[in-house]
Amino acid sequence: MLRSTFTAFYRSFTRHPLYALLNLLGLSFGIAVFITLGLFFRFETTYEQWLPKASKIYIVENAWKFAAVRTDPEPWTNGGLLDNIKSDNPQRIGTRLWDHNVTVHMGANSTQEEVLLVDNEFFKVFDLPLLAGSKSAALAAPDNVVMSQPMAEKYFPGEAASALIGKTIRLTDEEGTHDYRISAVLKALPDTTAYKFDFVRLLNRSLIDRTTSWERYGSQRLQTILVFDTPKDAADMNAHFPAFIDRHAANQFGDDKPSHVLKTMVVPLTSLHLEDEKTRTAVYVLGIVGILAFLIAAINYINLATARAGMRAKEVAVRKTLGATQGSLRAQFLCEALLTTIMAALIGLSIVELSLPHINSFGDLKLKLDYAGEAVPLVLAGAFILLVGLLAGLYPAFVLSGFKPAQVLASSRTPAGGRMALRLREALVVLQFAIVIAFFIMGAGFLSQLNHMKTADIGFKREGLMISDSTYDPALTNAQREAIWAAFRNLPGVIAVAGANSAPGDNSLTNNTDVSREGHVGRRPSSSFTIVGTDYFKTYGGTVIAGRMLDPTRGEDIYIRWVNGEQQDPPRGETANVMINRTASETLGFKSPQEAVGEVLDFDDYKVRVAGVIEDMRFRSPKEKVAPMLYLMDRTPYRHSITGVRYAGVPEPVMRQRMETAWKAIAPQVPFKAVSGVENIDKYYKPDRNRSNVFSIGAGIAALIGCIGLYGMAAFNTSRRAREIGLRKVLGASSGKVVGLLVGQFLRPVLLANLIAWPLAWYALTQWLSQFDDAVALDPLIFVAATLVAMTIALLTVGGLALASASTEPGKALRHE
Amino acid sequence: MTDTLIDLQKITRLYRSDDVETTALHNISLTIKRGEFVAIMGPSGCGKSTLLNVLGTIDRPTSGAYLFANEDGKSHDLARMSEKNLAKHRARHLGFIFQSFNLVDDLTIYENIELGLLYRDGRKGSRRQAIEGAMDKVGIAHRARHFPHQLSGGQQQRAAIARAIVGQPDLILADEPTGNLDTENGAQVMDILKGLNKGGATIIMVTHSQSHADQATRQVDILDGQLVASVAQVL
Repeated sequence: MLRSTFTAFYRSFTRHPLYALLNLLGLSFGIAVFITLGLFFRFETTYEQWLPKASKIYIVENAWKFAAVRTDPEPWTNGGLLDNIKSDNPQRIGTRLWDHNVTVHMGANSTQEEVLLVDNEFFKVFDLPLLAGSKSAALAAPDNVVMSQPMAEKYFPGEAASALIGKTIRLTDEEGTHDYRISAVLKALPDTTAYKFDFVRLLNRSLIDRTTSWERYGSQRLQTILVFDTPKDAADMNAHFPAFIDRHAANQFGDDKPSHVLKTMVVPLTSLHLEDEKTRTAVYVLGIVGILAFLIAAINYINLATARAGMRAKEVAVRKTLGATQGSLRAQFLCEALLTTIMAALIGLSIVELSLPHINSFGDLKLKLDYAGEAVPLVLAGAFILLVGLLAGLYPAFVLSGFKPAQVLASSRTPAGGRMALRLREALVVLQFAIVIAFFIMGAGFLSQLNHMKTADIGFKREGLMISDSTYDPALTNAQREAIWAAFRNLPGVIAVAGANSAPGDNSLTNNTDVSREGHVGRRPSSSFTIVGTDYFKTYGGTVIAGRMLDPTRGEDIYIRWVNGEQQDPPRGETANVMINRTASETLGFKSPQEAVGEVLDFDDYKVRVAGVIEDMRFRSPKEKVAPMLYLMDRTPYRHSITGVRYAGVPEPVMRQRMETAWKAIAPQVPFKAVSGVENIDKYYKPDRNRSNVFSIGAGIAALIGCIGLYGMAAFNTSRRAREIGLRKVLGASSGKVVGLLVGQFLRPVLLANLIAWPLAWYALTQWLSQFDDAVALDPLIFVAATLVAMTIALLTVGGLALASASTEPGKALRHE
Repeated sequence: MTDTLIDLQKITRLYRSDDVETTALHNISLTIKRGEFVAIMGPSGCGKSTLLNVLGTIDRPTSGAYLFANEDGKSHDLARMSEKNLAKHRARHLGFIFQSFNLVDDLTIYENIELGLLYRDGRKGSRRQAIEGAMDKVGIAHRARHFPHQLSGGQQQRAAIARAIVGQPDLILADEPTGNLDTENGAQVMDILKGLNKGGATIIMVTHSQSHADQATRQVDILDGQLVASVAQVL
């Protein structure tokens, strides 16, 4: 019995290769998309879950709740938070993670890496597996350092991890240059983590004492991680936080009660990666695309299998006369569906294996099929695939096994399952094409937004700009900084150089404070401010829209003064000039930028006057609103100084090389790193582009599967109607008329599909676009174009078949049965 | 063996469509004994195929009883049997031969013949022997690995006969088995059927050909769904 099923299955491949190929390929590609996007979905949703006791690890977040400025919760806190928590509850386990640049000295070479300064309970929070060393001793001494496996392999290639324990490594960071003793080597971490733990060492009291605003609540200095045994413990802590903040941050926010302007909470560390609702939605949408692609393939199977049912009617009838029961026939057809699905799953898996490297590079992903490590989810996915395959086989099995042998054997007509089945098949084609068209529209919508972001005016020119935060390195002296700026200015091709606290990219230092119009009370908007060098606007290219640019030759335009190496605000009673951006002018309530010019603002306890207003510069994510900004000028912005270089007429690598050469001549001991403006801002655009690329692959293949299905349906319907076509031609129909008839039959479902696709795609796109601060308007042309593309594909798919069938001689067609 | 195999009692078969009622068979009573070779004759549309379908249990009479005697002598009314048991009945007791052969295109001749054993219980070991025996009987053993479309009409029909007899059924039902064949091949098929009958097989054959009907042991004529005469022939 089983062997007979296998024989029938095998023969359906060798004897009807087109049908089998369409069916199998469609299903295989559907499964491949499903597996790939499933891997993507799993990758994105399992961040930090690999950590031992991951569910107990929580991170503290802060969100501003000012009247005018509300921010999303961000996982950064002030430095002193953990000490305050521990003083309230000494039992609470936790650690700070404070990220710093570190220079690694190896012989004459020095390279820049990152070091994480942590508390001594680090390993009680992050129970990371070690290659060598012991967790209890790893952070016992302040001159111990823990290294990651990649770092150990980079700096001590070919050496066993255990051989590194006790060796020293020279590092320069915030606390100067010291030799550290390697106390442990961490096992390489999986890709599903935001952390690297390249170098980990103890956070020392001396550094805390030298750091300003350590106790300042709401400042974003470092990450505070806590351990809670149960979600209830964490919830209790969250309920307790307002009172906690009011107690520990008393008087830090002027007249405001701290808990009224600052919301502090703990969230599971595992939830952080997809905390942003929009990102989460994007990931879920991609997961759904995977399921839909598989669904389209399953629909194909149902359609093709039922369409072929007609051709197998005789076989069913004969089997029944030979004593086959309906049950045994159902079992046979379900078995065929199962075998097809298993084959398709294996082919799909091979497609995934073959294409993953390409998909990974195309979408900048790190997906892999980990059969051993991910056995359970893979088995579950396999079970789901088989279940869907069986369900897809169910309908054809019932249709086929229900054929009445007497009727089938009596007539030369092959049954198609009746009017119901025909309707159902048409409905399935409609559904399939609706998904395909919706995918087309969404793809086009994504592209237009991505293209818009690439070309949109973001307030400054991304090209011809180099940014280096190496001037921030504490190992540099102020004299070296000035020498470097001067050297950069003299490089051929350079137009302007400026040090500043902020630059495009995420390494900016911006502070938030209360700014309001003088004499205005009530609404107290907050604003960011940043300290900029004299050529700042020339370097980045801000456009003045009202008033004038700050002029370094005028004393009142300089806000920051340096007295004996100390940075100082202007003396009381003096009103320095500042620039503000358009958003600040609006937030402050000026009717126009012009109205703001010359106005005096209360800036903390100081007064400043608006010299000019510049157009907003989008230094960060296109999803973030541009913050209201005050620009304070400093002739020598030594502190937290990021250097921008505007140049022209020189290729980027050449410029980078010239800068590096100039740097090495002045500060050879400090590593130099520079990124281009395009590169540094691109990280905000990349995730969306990557997701959009993944979407395009998924949607493109889904569309292909849809077309395979349409072709298959068309092929079978056309062959089923061969006699009718012959008859029509005998009665005088022209080939053109017949083609029209056949094509029309398929265009109708495709047209109908638009009715479903348009609102669906519109909804999905509006949702997706709403995450961008600067979103394109939805172009109706996208919808029309997607429909036209789908129609063209349908036409080409069906048209060729129809033409071939229509030009067959009628005599041949009539002999067909 | 002269005991009764089939006893049809007042079999009527009505076909109802939306507003038309057609009587395909009307009050047919007929007994057939084991070892008979019955030819059913009549013009197109007289109901002879319906009668054969009812006999073959792939069509159910609207009223009347269809008693079928098993080896143990017990009779069962097939008109009231469940579909599942009818399927079993067909597998155990019946063999079908069609005008258009109805071999499964995707299966080889051997596999087609094997289908005749597939839905029966057990006997796995002797299957091969039975199939080869059936193929020898109709002379197509050399075509075992071919597909139906590679064979001539006569060869295909012989293969179909092999499939019908491979399970040694109590009754062979043949629906115009020579209708699609030329004279020579038709004669060959008739020779095989006669041989099977001589060997003890009970055969009911629908035919348009008087000369082929003459070779049966008994002729039943049908007109407008009713039995006209039943003539026992002496060969």
